[in-house]
Amino acid sequence: MEYIKRNRIDKISAKISEEIVKDDLELIRACYQCGTCTGSCPSGRRTALRTRAVIRKALLGLDQVLDDPDIWLCSTCYTCFERCPRQVPVTDIIIKLRNLATQKGRILAPHKSLTHLLIDTGHGVPINDKKWNDLRESYDLDPVPPTVHKYPSAVKEVQTLVKSLGFDKLVEYKPPVNTNSKKDEKPEKKEEKATRKGRKSKIKK
Amino acid sequence: MEEDLKIGVYLCHCGVNIAGVIDMDELEEFTKTLPNVNLVRQYKFMCSDTGQSMIKDDIKEGLVNRVVVAACSPRMHEPTFRRAIESAGMNKFLFSQANIREHSSWISMKDKEGASRIAKDHIRMQVAKVSKLESLQPQKVKVTPNALVIGGGIAGINAALDLAEQNFHVYLVEKTATIGGHMAQLDKTFPTMDCSACILTPKMVDVNQHENITLMAYSEVDNVEGYVGNFKVTVRQKARYVDTEKCTGCGNCAEECPVTVPNEFDLGLSLRKAAYLPFPQAVPGYYTIDMDHCIKCGICADPSVCEPDAIRYDDKDKFVKLDIGTIIVATGFDPFDPTALKEYGYEKYDNVITSMQMERLLSSYGPTLGKPVRPSDLTAPHSIAFIQCVGSRDFHPGRGHKYCSRVCCMYAMKQARQYMEKHPDAKIYIFYMDIRAFGKGYEEFYEIASREYGIMFIRGRLSEVYEDPKDKGIWLRGEDTLLQVPVEIKVDMVVLSVGIEARDDSDKIASLLSIQKTEDGFFMEAHPKLRPVDTLTDGIFIAGVSQGPKDIPDAVAQAKGAASSAAALMAKGEVEIEPYFAVIDEAICTGCKACNSMCPFGAITFDKISGISVINPAKCKGCGTCVAACPFGAIAQNHFKEEQLDVIIRSVLKEGGVY
Repeated sequence: MEYIKRNRIDKISAKISEEIVKDDLELIRACYQCGTCTGSCPSGRRTALRTRAVIRKALLGLDQVLDDPDIWLCSTCYTCFERCPRQVPVTDIIIKLRNLATQKGRILAPHKSLTHLLIDTGHGVPINDKKWNDLRESYDLDPVPPTVHKYPSAVKEVQTLVKSLGFDKLVEYKPPVNTNSKKDEKPEKKEEKATRKGRKSKIKK
Repeated sequence: MEEDLKIGVYLCHCGVNIAGVIDMDELEEFTKTLPNVNLVRQYKFMCSDTGQSMIKDDIKEGLVNRVVVAACSPRMHEPTFRRAIESAGMNKFLFSQANIREHSSWISMKDKEGASRIAKDHIRMQVAKVSKLESLQPQKVKVTPNALVIGGGIAGINAALDLAEQNFHVYLVEKTATIGGHMAQLDKTFPTMDCSACILTPKMVDVNQHENITLMAYSEVDNVEGYVGNFKVTVRQKARYVDTEKCTGCGNCAEECPVTVPNEFDLGLSLRKAAYLPFPQAVPGYYTIDMDHCIKCGICADPSVCEPDAIRYDDKDKFVKLDIGTIIVATGFDPFDPTALKEYGYEKYDNVITSMQMERLLSSYGPTLGKPVRPSDLTAPHSIAFIQCVGSRDFHPGRGHKYCSRVCCMYAMKQARQYMEKHPDAKIYIFYMDIRAFGKGYEEFYEIASREYGIMFIRGRLSEVYEDPKDKGIWLRGEDTLLQVPVEIKVDMVVLSVGIEARDDSDKIASLLSIQKTEDGFFMEAHPKLRPVDTLTDGIFIAGVSQGPKDIPDAVAQAKGAASSAAALMAKGEVEIEPYFAVIDEAICTGCKACNSMCPFGAITFDKISGISVINPAKCKGCGTCVAACPFGAIAQNHFKEEQLDVIIRSVLKEGGVY
């Protein structure tokens, strides 16, 4: 929690709560800060997530809530909503906050690198390395699943879609520099690298 | 006749309530164009002395002979304006009120133009109606000086005693075997900590001994007919299977009875016999046999057990008819059942109890004689947590009620203090959202609870509880919202501070008496501020928690208020009722009797001699059922005659109104 600064009050605006209320989530205004959500939160028991504080900030329209890493720690189990005595759709509000943050490009670094993987490979979590192939074979399945992994040309479609939506700019995606003639080999290697990178950065966090 | 009509229309601003939405000058111009309107005036508050004088002066000067006031609901001020008109020498039924506040400016606050259009239609209709109204003479009916009080809790007891002291006869009907209600189950009362039984039981005895009170315990109201001042009430006296004339209350029958069942007075924390007295100080002090559990073994009927020979296995319900002038409803409440809130573990974990159970554990005549123990091992808990707002301030249907139950903060602190007086080193936690200590001496009580007793107040609604299987202790999980950290605390026992809800049979009572209920399930008062003990049915009053959650001082105050209102009616001896009764045109009636059975008030009888049906004006409530039922159109209802209604509809249809 930050200490109160002189200009703190200036940061309060109704913009965020207005956005939330627009989506039929106006019950957020019924919140009386009882803390049932925080106490019920299975994530909050292990992490810094303080559900009630997130709702409070959102209701006050504190812009900082969109940068708050807490909003990404919710596992969307809906226990808080089940127990909330005022029927505040807590989980839906957190998802809305995530959407608002994403629209403004305020996405956590690990999430960004995940989207880069998606754009490169068509999978947020690629499942075409040897370990997965062997596992699938042991169940008499095709070693490569019938997704973009099997049809590498479909990656282009994913990329077209992403570009047309402007999602690549939002997540600051930069295409790999050395994409030349060797189409089959290179992207796969890149994928593996990226996967490891992604995981490492997550662990560091 | 038409030329003689001089209608005066008075437009009320109601401060900004109407004038803030509707352009009053434009409305005045419009009103002037209506037929037969002689003058239009507007004023800030028509109901004020100045406003009423405006109307009176116009009548006295002969400027108007019909009056329309466009203001609030007639429910609010129709009697006010009628009185004014009457005092100026005009018949008060030549008046009509157009509701341009509730029906127009309030509901269309955001659509000013729409509000104005609706207001015009209302005025148009009332102007049309008033031109067809006829002079009527109000009726007077006698008020029987007998009162019926339903419910023998602290509210009913006080209302009954107050009325009896004023020499009115009171019939006090109580559903259970004893009077005393929930207050009899309490140990001490906040904030003065006086013992509940010490202040209640003398009043119970007074009720039993008062010459003007007929106590009818173990009885229920079966049927109510009639109207203000003249109710015909049937009371069902349930079979006690004990001759109350002979029973001496010695208790031998209960001692020898072989059947044991959970005692509802102790909320299942103790056992009672099938032959029982709810608690030692019960009034009346007769024993009752609970036939749902009695096995008719005959032991109690043996002359060696019941010497006075009072046991009657063949006892039957008796129906008693009473003539009643006024009725006070004081049926009380049910404590909220927290079983639906699964995360609180009530009935799943031994050591989670409700506050009513805690009250019995603290009571000197409770199952543990005032030494609270936890149910799992019957030892005194070293730590107790009170969970507030269980079943209150909760929007989930089935998991609670939206309202605040108003007493839980105070009784939790009271129970906590009582326990700490017995165990000074105990740890007490109260999980709360807001402490509502609003009454006289309550805030001081709260302050002492924290300063002197060291009770821990944790601001946060508890999220869930788990039982520790090893020692049956209870783990609590919640958030300390002031520290912004989740907390986990283990305590020996949990008390759920359950709220108050309307009685499960309150619907039955409401339909028996034709009184209304508010959204929260409690009985509705006629006006939330100015008529708090009246109902919309004349002659019926409400008191105590049956009207809404309240503590003992408030319940008693309201009971005394209800008694005062009932006494005012009965002391006067007669009451004026509106002459809106239906009249049968003897020339048209064929005597088909179609209306006779339709009348819900039994006001229509068939006169064999003349061969036509006759309406008793005193019984007729003016509901209009017979008017619609008559196949020949022979019945007309005063003030709502066909041409009087027809002209309203025509006025609005002709002008293409919004309806």
